[in-house]
Amino acid sequence: MSYCVNCGVELDPTAAFCPLCQTAVCNPVQPVDRESPTPFPTERREVPPASKRELAILISAMLASVSVCCGLLNLVLRAQRVWSLYVIGAAVMLWIWFVPPLLRRGRPLRCQVGINLLSVAVYVLMIARDVDGWSWYWFLALPILMVLSIIVLFLDFMLRQRQRSLLSSVTLLIGAAGVFPVGVEFFVDRYFQGEWTPGWSLVVLTICLALVIPLLVVRRVPSLREEARRRFHM
Amino acid sequence: MLGGEKPSWYRLDNAGVLYSALQKENYSPVYRFSAVMTEQVDPAALQRAVDRTLPRFPVFRMCLRRGAFWYYLEPNQRPGPFVRPDIANSCQPMRFGEEDGWMVRFFHYERRISLEVFHALSDGAGALVFFRTLLAAYLGELGHPVPPGEGLLDLEEPWTAEELEDAYARYAGPRVLRRGGQKKAFPNTSEPEPFYTLNVTIGFLPVDRLKEAARKYNASLTEYLAAVLLQSILENQQARTPRRPRPVALNVPINLRPWFPTRTLRNFITTLRLCIDPALGDYTFPEIVSYVHNYMRLHLNRQEMRAAFTGNVRFTTNRFLQLIPIFIKNPIMSLAYQCTGVVPYSATFTNPGPFPVPVEMAPHIHHVEVILGQATRPAPHCASISYGNIMAVTFAGTGMSSETERRFFTHLVKEGIPVKVESNRTAHRSGRD
Repeated sequence: MSYCVNCGVELDPTAAFCPLCQTAVCNPVQPVDRESPTPFPTERREVPPASKRELAILISAMLASVSVCCGLLNLVLRAQRVWSLYVIGAAVMLWIWFVPPLLRRGRPLRCQVGINLLSVAVYVLMIARDVDGWSWYWFLALPILMVLSIIVLFLDFMLRQRQRSLLSSVTLLIGAAGVFPVGVEFFVDRYFQGEWTPGWSLVVLTICLALVIPLLVVRRVPSLREEARRRFHM
Repeated sequence: MLGGEKPSWYRLDNAGVLYSALQKENYSPVYRFSAVMTEQVDPAALQRAVDRTLPRFPVFRMCLRRGAFWYYLEPNQRPGPFVRPDIANSCQPMRFGEEDGWMVRFFHYERRISLEVFHALSDGAGALVFFRTLLAAYLGELGHPVPPGEGLLDLEEPWTAEELEDAYARYAGPRVLRRGGQKKAFPNTSEPEPFYTLNVTIGFLPVDRLKEAARKYNASLTEYLAAVLLQSILENQQARTPRRPRPVALNVPINLRPWFPTRTLRNFITTLRLCIDPALGDYTFPEIVSYVHNYMRLHLNRQEMRAAFTGNVRFTTNRFLQLIPIFIKNPIMSLAYQCTGVVPYSATFTNPGPFPVPVEMAPHIHHVEVILGQATRPAPHCASISYGNIMAVTFAGTGMSSETERRFFTHLVKEGIPVKVESNRTAHRSGRD
């Protein structure tokens, strides 16, 4: 029988290394037994990933059927305007949001969120083309979408890089919810009035800051943090 | 109610409600009991034994169905379950609609017979009665008849309603134990293995030497092993030199049947939280043993345990909560479990105790093993069970590090207890944090 020279435990004759400290077995008197069966089977078998294919097909069928029905209806109802493209575009956008995540597992969240925002940008582009709204598209809709993308990517980075506590995560989310309206009002004011006159967004930002400051205090003061964890089971 | 009447469905017990809510695509609360026999396993005889034994245990013949407000159990009429060759990565997730809805699995490998059970059906005590009866039936198939006895149900007798009762509801009392919030514990996690890899390491120790060592500290086997585990995890944390050391806490399931007599084979356990806080100062090992010994003596009493599980029973019987649809309730229960059942603990340690068998069975079984399936995070669980003079202590987890088990077993070796280790770890890579 062989023993681990590091841990002192007896090893199975088939063990080539100690499972506790990975020290290789070196026993000239009793070499590693490679013929006998190992204590545990070596064949791996895994439950296959849960199939969401059926759900994906159902959602695709529902969206396709809505698109087709509206498309056909458009041929008779207000046929001078292609209003069904709005419905079809929305259906395509919803398909991009819901179906690929069901079919392709393991895609990073920021990748999927990026694709979702891109689909929204394309859909709004379609609307802009239809109503000849290039100006509001380039100077209003797209900048707002870019602000949203930046905020979402920032949140994804901050929440994924380190294990954040519930308190920190909530603080970041409320902070992001306060910053986003500032960006929206900035671009809205620039588009309609030519200059930024902060108003309602500052109210929202102030409210969010007022919510965040006590959370930051609780987060920083150890005794308050422990009390919050105890009371809220965090 | 006697066997032969067939109710169409059963409510889940208190623990079953929680375990079914935790079920995810890549996680199930599953545990495994194994018996290593003295001869190679005969798969055909084992399958016959399963087919004979399962009808006697309706608890294990269930499938889980999703209702509008709760999951519930239904008798499973489909063929099976079938005995299969064992696999390297045990305690795979059990998904309710797959594998014909069976919530139990049977494996064989060389001389080992294994039973995996989804925790919503039964706890360790109930599963051991089933497992023991199955082994007796298997030996009977091989020409070694075993008469029914203590801990062994008679396959010729019908099942009784007592075996299916919800003992939590029966014994729930008037008072609820209001625990204060529990501090976040050191998580003892390490880098996760790829899905699905469960690293299992079993240490075999002589029970007499273990008892000798425990007696030196005036502690029982369970208390001694729990103290060694606490010490190992404390050392793990120390090695990471944290700025703010966290408490190290063990979740210890307690079988309630000795205090609240019942013949139920379903879940009937509560849990105890053993906690050492290194922020208060250094603890020597004798101090840790003393703490565990006295804490268990103080808190393992009928009144406290009853008040503890009464709170959970109230949850499932609350009229308002009953009306919340299951798709809202499940994530909330899952989150509540994370906050109260995972974050305040570093590890789970369970010891179902000795596995007694009738004298007719004893010569055919070499030893018994237990594996607590994966945790919700990449940290090892610890479980121990003894048969004769062999105590098998198993660490199982989806983390790469083997530091916890290394510290645990080397501590025992230093105490003069010989340890033999077997593992399914295959990669020859550093298991250090």
